[in-house]
Amino acid sequence: MSETTSSPEADDLTETNGEATTGSNGDGHKNRRRATAQSMAASQKEISVSEFFAKNRHLLGFDNPRKALLTTVKEAVDNALDACEEAGILPEIWVHIERVGEDRFKVGVQDNGPGIVRAQIPLIFGKLLYGSKFHRMRMSRGQQGIGISAAGMYGMLTTGKPVKIMSKVSKRSDAHYYELQIDTKRNRPDILNGKGEGVVIEPNDKGRRNTEKHGIEWVEIDHGTRVTIELEARYQRGRGSVDEYLEQTAMANPHVMVHYTDPDGSVWDRPRVTDTLPPEPREIKPHPYGVELGRLVGMLKETKAPTIGQFLIQSFSRVSPSIARKICEGAKLGVRTTPAKCERQEADAIYKSIQTAKIPAPATDCLVPIGEDLILKGLHQIIPGEFYAAATRPPSVYRGNPFLIEVGLAFGGTSPAQRISIDGLKEMLDASDARTLRQFLSMTFDGIGADAADKIIAASEMRPRVSPGKLEKEEIVKLHEAMQNVNLNDGQSMSILRYANRVPLQFQAAACAITQTVMGTNWRSYGLSQSRGSLPSGPVTLMVHMASVWVPFTSESKEAVASYPEIQKELRLALQAVGRKLAMFLRKRLKVKHEGQRRAIFLRYLGEVATAVHAINGTDREQLLERLMKVAQKRTASADAQFDDRGRPLEPTEKDFGGSVLIVDPASEPLEK
Amino acid sequence: MAKKSDTKPKLKPRDTETIEQIVSLANGIVTAAGGGRDLSIDIPTRSLANVRYNKTRKILEMGKGTNSRQLFNLSQAKSYMQTILVAQGASRLIGEGKSNSIRGLYYTLKHKIAPTSENTFEDQAECDPIIEDLEVILGSLREELHLFADNRGGMVGNIILEDSGDEINCGRMGSGGYAVPSIVEPEVIRFKECTAKFVLHVEKGTVWQRFNEDKFWRNNNCILTHGAGQPPRGVRRMLYRLHNELKLPIYCLLDNDPWGYYIYSVIKQGSINLAYESQRMAIPEARFLGLRSSDYERCALSDSVQIALNDTDRKRAKQIAGYPWFAHKKSWQKEIDKMLDNGFKLEVEALISKDISYVTEEYTPQRLKDQDWLD
Repeated sequence: MSETTSSPEADDLTETNGEATTGSNGDGHKNRRRATAQSMAASQKEISVSEFFAKNRHLLGFDNPRKALLTTVKEAVDNALDACEEAGILPEIWVHIERVGEDRFKVGVQDNGPGIVRAQIPLIFGKLLYGSKFHRMRMSRGQQGIGISAAGMYGMLTTGKPVKIMSKVSKRSDAHYYELQIDTKRNRPDILNGKGEGVVIEPNDKGRRNTEKHGIEWVEIDHGTRVTIELEARYQRGRGSVDEYLEQTAMANPHVMVHYTDPDGSVWDRPRVTDTLPPEPREIKPHPYGVELGRLVGMLKETKAPTIGQFLIQSFSRVSPSIARKICEGAKLGVRTTPAKCERQEADAIYKSIQTAKIPAPATDCLVPIGEDLILKGLHQIIPGEFYAAATRPPSVYRGNPFLIEVGLAFGGTSPAQRISIDGLKEMLDASDARTLRQFLSMTFDGIGADAADKIIAASEMRPRVSPGKLEKEEIVKLHEAMQNVNLNDGQSMSILRYANRVPLQFQAAACAITQTVMGTNWRSYGLSQSRGSLPSGPVTLMVHMASVWVPFTSESKEAVASYPEIQKELRLALQAVGRKLAMFLRKRLKVKHEGQRRAIFLRYLGEVATAVHAINGTDREQLLERLMKVAQKRTASADAQFDDRGRPLEPTEKDFGGSVLIVDPASEPLEK
Repeated sequence: MAKKSDTKPKLKPRDTETIEQIVSLANGIVTAAGGGRDLSIDIPTRSLANVRYNKTRKILEMGKGTNSRQLFNLSQAKSYMQTILVAQGASRLIGEGKSNSIRGLYYTLKHKIAPTSENTFEDQAECDPIIEDLEVILGSLREELHLFADNRGGMVGNIILEDSGDEINCGRMGSGGYAVPSIVEPEVIRFKECTAKFVLHVEKGTVWQRFNEDKFWRNNNCILTHGAGQPPRGVRRMLYRLHNELKLPIYCLLDNDPWGYYIYSVIKQGSINLAYESQRMAIPEARFLGLRSSDYERCALSDSVQIALNDTDRKRAKQIAGYPWFAHKKSWQKEIDKMLDNGFKLEVEALISKDISYVTEEYTPQRLKDQDWLD
């Protein structure tokens, strides 16, 4: 059955490619012909999507071995989370990366999702552009149905090893184990094991023995799916790493439990922050404003509706009979025209009429925000800081697609560079391909700019141009010490965690609307220093989430959000909302600090005054000092209000900020190892 | 001529009085602290705003304006503490019957404020104005607090002094001259014999050297002094005593620039900063001999001696011209206007460039003879 099934998009794509090839043979007809139309026709043939992507792997995020590893994990985890949430299961994810060779890794990702029915397994994992998410307007992580099969294909191309899938739909049912290869020529899966039928594993001891026999890795659960891909890759920590991806995923998905085993065998377990599954996003029909002419023509051809009026009402959201009538009037068409009779001209008229018609904005209940509360919790769990604020904007619309923006902000705490262990640092130095130490520091760690890197290098008394791989043991110790001791808060620039539908975006920060809007916001008025056209500095981490039924990415590898004015406006408003709260916090903190300093200054001089007065007239020094202290207390009464009984400054309370903030006393937090 | 030679060598009653004043200052703090009241000291203001020109006495007098220095005010807390420290230092010196230099006092009082690393005084510049503050608070002079400054300024001439029992013949001081001490009160210095007819005060040591080498004082029978720039209190007090006790007229030979004008102003009617000392230092009869703005043309000086006026000079000149004690003197207004017109200033050394002894042999004697001076 798999041979015959082919998605319409795959056909579309081959068509376009075919056209392009035909168009190109018109060249050079003035010169003597090197080839005839007939001879060329012999070499003109269909290109499979799989072949196309195998050659253009960078389009999908497989440009280099390091990114390939990340993309593989990312696609598998995104799919797993989508499946769990769609089925209404609290997700639990196991990620296992194992080094099997110098530059070879085995990636295993398992979820506790609903499982996949036997017949669909080969198609989902072994065929490009096969999936459930492309045709619907619904907020989900995956969109196209390329990712995981492309990862499998990449693995196969680089190592020759098949993709291994194990899936189980319930406790009592059989599990199915497949080893797949993608036939890139025909874009279809080849099943390698069980004589092309896969292996059935029964839910009993026999099945367990079978699992062992086939060497299947499987965490014993009632239902779920595990995909294992072996690929050529490079594992490196730091910015843009798998570790970072999982950490950021956990932050934006507080309902997910993650178990991660890294190539060194260390295990990182991230428990859930909440046991409530986010509400299920509703699927919506496209909004007329968002549809393009070509798509409209296609929809008109496909529709089963008897009249144009019916077609408009059924295929689009927010189109009432009266609106449909108005659109038809605008296009000078009868409401009862048969859609099949609409030619290009009529479609064009309808399209133009839609743009001028007054149609209500799309329903926005299809969007599921993370929520201010969970953003605060998620941020707090991952980023140690003193102050957290969050803002979720009401939904808005760009090009007919509803979307909403959420922003979380964490202030204070130590930068990631100061939390790293000495062994971790050593490993990073070894793995780094940076040419100089300075480059290594600013490339590896978020929040270390050139200034901070220079400070660290100066403190460690090393040459800035020294190669990071060539450091002696003592030098590494010195560097580590310097990283711990240097005050990075001044030179630190704000780090931004970008998310689209809860998926972290780790690359192409500069091209992203989110980064651009953060830079375009004036943070100076919120108490941070910022030079024109750059990120503000300070120990600040921003988390920006865009939720939409269709996130406008700038490329297929889903790394940056396109800059639509509507999106930028919402981003700005959300940033300003958290900015105002940060400003309030900073002002209050500054005030308490000032009052404290004021008293400290008075107290410092009182002793001197008492001693001198005692020397002049013989007054009892201690008694005088005590009296002076009392006056000082009285005089700095405003400072007193901010001190608790132990004389420590009291932090402002969360109520003062109108909610959606979290204030943490850094002293009460246990130090993270 | 030594009218006050019979004063007691040690002024015990004055010391007791000073100590009493310091103690009452300290008592005030104890009372205020006990009553939970604000702690502040009223300090007579030492600025132009609080200076009055007494037209009849022709000296500057301190007004009644005061500044309050508060302990519980962030910007004043430290100087309050410092004021009390200086008071304590002075009371100890008086009690022990010793005196100390102002630099010595600074060292005595400087220490780290436990537990911080902050010093009570960071440098002497921080301590000196506090001493002046204490002088005005207590209404006592520096020497009454048993404090003195570095010796600055020099003196030669036909006069014999007795300095702390030693006889000094200022006519036999060689090229170095007699260094004028910080305290020149009658109990320290007594005038024994004086044949000089006037005093010539010059601005700087270098010019003074020129006059001393040419034995101007011997040829013209005078006393020659300098104040190393703005004359210190010792020199000003010495000039005052020479003028008032020995009735010697005082002539000043200063640079032709706002700085020189102000030196003359200080000698003549007292300084703004130390207006409370005017009545024992100002010499309203002092005369300004030169340099005059017109000297560039009059003496046919080469244009290489011009020093262009900068913005500060112009600003300062206009300020000085506006002082009440200059405002109504047409000759001075003309003088300052002329300098501004010229656009340059002249130093006394400019005359030396014409001929090494021009200033001592021609310029000054000519001026004195013609009685060509500014008042």
